[in-house]
Amino acid sequence: MNEKNPISPHIQIYNWHISSLVSIVHRITGVINITLITIICFLVMFLMLGPNNYSLINIFFNSIFGKFVIIFITWSFSFQILSEVRHFFWDLGYGFELKTSNLTGVFVIVGSFLTTLLIYFIGRFFI
Amino acid sequence: MVQINLPKNSKVIKGIYYKDKTNSKNIRKVNVYRWDPSTGENPRIDTYEVDMDNCPSKVLDLLNKIKNEIDPSLAYRRSCAHGVCGSCAMNMDGKNGLACTKPHAEIKGDINIYPLPHLKVLKDLIGDLNTLYKQYESVEPWLKTSKKNDQQENIQSKSDRSKLDGLYECIMCACCSTSCPSYWWNGDKYLGPAVLLQAYRWIMDSRDEDRKERLNKVADELKLYRCHTIMNCTNACPKGLNPAKAIASIKKMLATS
Repeated sequence: MNEKNPISPHIQIYNWHISSLVSIVHRITGVINITLITIICFLVMFLMLGPNNYSLINIFFNSIFGKFVIIFITWSFSFQILSEVRHFFWDLGYGFELKTSNLTGVFVIVGSFLTTLLIYFIGRFFI
Repeated sequence: MVQINLPKNSKVIKGIYYKDKTNSKNIRKVNVYRWDPSTGENPRIDTYEVDMDNCPSKVLDLLNKIKNEIDPSLAYRRSCAHGVCGSCAMNMDGKNGLACTKPHAEIKGDINIYPLPHLKVLKDLIGDLNTLYKQYESVEPWLKTSKKNDQQENIQSKSDRSKLDGLYECIMCACCSTSCPSYWWNGDKYLGPAVLLQAYRWIMDSRDEDRKERLNKVADELKLYRCHTIMNCTNACPKGLNPAKAIASIKKMLATS
């Protein structure tokens, strides 16, 4: 086989399925989460350095951008956890039928937003 | 490696437009991927206007009609036309399947036909499956037994035989492997769903005495564990099999043995 043969189109033309969509978002949120955990660790470290740092972080998280970041983090973790539960059942050998996997996929997507809302309201009104 | 964009020589350009000559009122546009190895040109998408009043129901019939009546230079593989041989596997409407079992009425709008994704194109809709066949050979898809018994059948119980259901039906059309993003990026090392389903078929065969050896052979970071349960394979399989489940079963066997 020489080099002149073209490669047939792949990701450009292939339809997205629920399962492939959840899979790629699972990966992306995974990378985001590990970065965020590192950043949160740094924030905690800053808090130990004194009250000035605390007020700086406080101002940031009370700004609109800061709030957006917090809600995004909540969603990203919700998605990751729900999707991970799905993977856990797969590893046990359950849920491979097309119907089941599509259903659990939708559950992960919808559930991640619902969980985000739930956590938001609990944080807003009960804590 | 993950490579989202196509290389320069694979970029698809606009091709020839074949206008309908039958004056039919029931016309559908069919966009077909074309590449001619005898010219140095890039692949192109040719558009055919097809008279649907005189066309049978499947996508393969549509391609036959184009080849017979509009453009005889179109190249594609086909043989049995009944979903048994697996020759006419291609990408239709963004999903892999067999052209001979896919009704074109299921496709809305223009009909887009491409070769199986991420293969070296030999001509038009014909992709090079040599790598896949080599990988298939590497799992040694034949019965290994020490019994020298030429006179009698090698008997299997009903329950042992039923373990092969959903595995033996595979026709190796490569729809699943070429739908898998993992196989796109690591097709040279990762075995892919089709071959792993076959590997599992021989692992599960009660008459085979090489189970341990077979399991050890596929237990590899790249050969097996590049499967991330994306499930495109199960979505694509025209025979309704479940390669994702077979791969997970291999993983489970390895984890529990």
